[in-house]
Amino acid sequence: MASLFKRIKLKLLNLIPLFLLFFIALDGSSVIDFKFFSINIHFILVYFWVLKQPRTLGYGYIFISGIITDVVFGLPIGISALTLLIIAAIATYVRLVSVNISLVTDWLSFIPALIIANFIYFTSLFFLNYSVDYLYLLKNSMFTFISYPVLWLFFNALISLGMGKLHA
Amino acid sequence: METSREDIGIAIRSAFLSKETKQKFSLLALILLSVVLLFIETIEVKPLNYLRSFLKDSIYRGSIVVSLPSKVFKSVMLSVENHMDIYKQNIELRKKKALLEEKIIDPSFLILENEQLRKLLVDQEISSNNIISSRVMIDKQSPYLNSFVINGGRNKKIKNGMVALDGKYFVGRIVDVNFFSSRVLLITDLNSRIPVVIEPKGYHAIMAGNGTPNPILEYLPKNHNIKAGNKVFTSGKEGIFSPGIPIGKIKMVSEKIFLSLFSDINQITFININLENIKKQKK
Repeated sequence: MASLFKRIKLKLLNLIPLFLLFFIALDGSSVIDFKFFSINIHFILVYFWVLKQPRTLGYGYIFISGIITDVVFGLPIGISALTLLIIAAIATYVRLVSVNISLVTDWLSFIPALIIANFIYFTSLFFLNYSVDYLYLLKNSMFTFISYPVLWLFFNALISLGMGKLHA
Repeated sequence: METSREDIGIAIRSAFLSKETKQKFSLLALILLSVVLLFIETIEVKPLNYLRSFLKDSIYRGSIVVSLPSKVFKSVMLSVENHMDIYKQNIELRKKKALLEEKIIDPSFLILENEQLRKLLVDQEISSNNIISSRVMIDKQSPYLNSFVINGGRNKKIKNGMVALDGKYFVGRIVDVNFFSSRVLLITDLNSRIPVVIEPKGYHAIMAGNGTPNPILEYLPKNHNIKAGNKVFTSGKEGIFSPGIPIGKIKMVSEKIFLSLFSDINQITFININLENIKKQKK
């Protein structure tokens, strides 16, 4: 019986990233703007979980959450899905080539991921005749990068609660 | 050197092409699908539009349910904030009351203002039958698109380009219509450009959204003498909107001209849609 409860608890814990992924997409809170701060938690969420535990976030789910984000924000359908998948691709690549994973290596490898994803995002918007606020892009990228360690610690705390043991 | 290059190639190939355990799709396939969807977005065909409308309507409904807790939280925070502000509001109201009392004593200002407004509104035909009201369903404004989703679409005869009003104030226009929902592009959005007229001299200009609550005015005549507090209305020059719809008043910040909107865009619950302009075009 205790083992059953433990399994259910682990299953629920493993569903948290997926729940968060769809919640922020449907709630429209994938980009949090608070006065001067602007953080793209969608990017951090996808990057972290694809890097650390790819089994918890399937690429298909990431694609669907991107489509939902586009509809909720009124952006051309496919644009967020494309950028999130690029983030996932870079995270997969980093996972395949790294041996020792630490906060610093994760954090530094997040820089090219952000640059490439934002470049694709804004190039697509530019070609689809959407006005782009470059200053906002810079601000958003900077704060997303700065806030990565905070969410890294939070997600790592989730993992230490026992996530991933179910797959092991 | 060659080995490391091969390693990178292998890593890229396996990242993009191989399906890992529990992954049903490869990354490359999904990336290509996203690009195809982006291309499809530029195609305007009726069946595709119906499909898009169905998808958007369904996602909007889901979004309303999911964002309910955050909406409740936001409204609770707002009411707490309002409650805390009561003392401040009381002082401001006292000042306003004193000002109004002064103005009542001297009605000539109001008479003059009334005459100027009448001149601007002379072409406007307002009919309550042509205005429909819709509730704002989703007001999550993306950093790249300041817009609302309202609960009226083709079912309420809403069409692209129609005027969106908050009470009687201009706040945006319809840019995307689904079966049961529509998207209103707000005047604060980067993509918004509206021809306006500034009283009392009647200068024409283009009001451009800049992503902040205070849009800017472009293409003003060189030797204008616009002052803070001058009122701004739609000019109706483009032939889509009616002329004389109030938008806001001039706000000067270090000699730069901004617009302070009459409507508080963050507090809108209902939007009025003016069906009139499209009807006029049909005639």
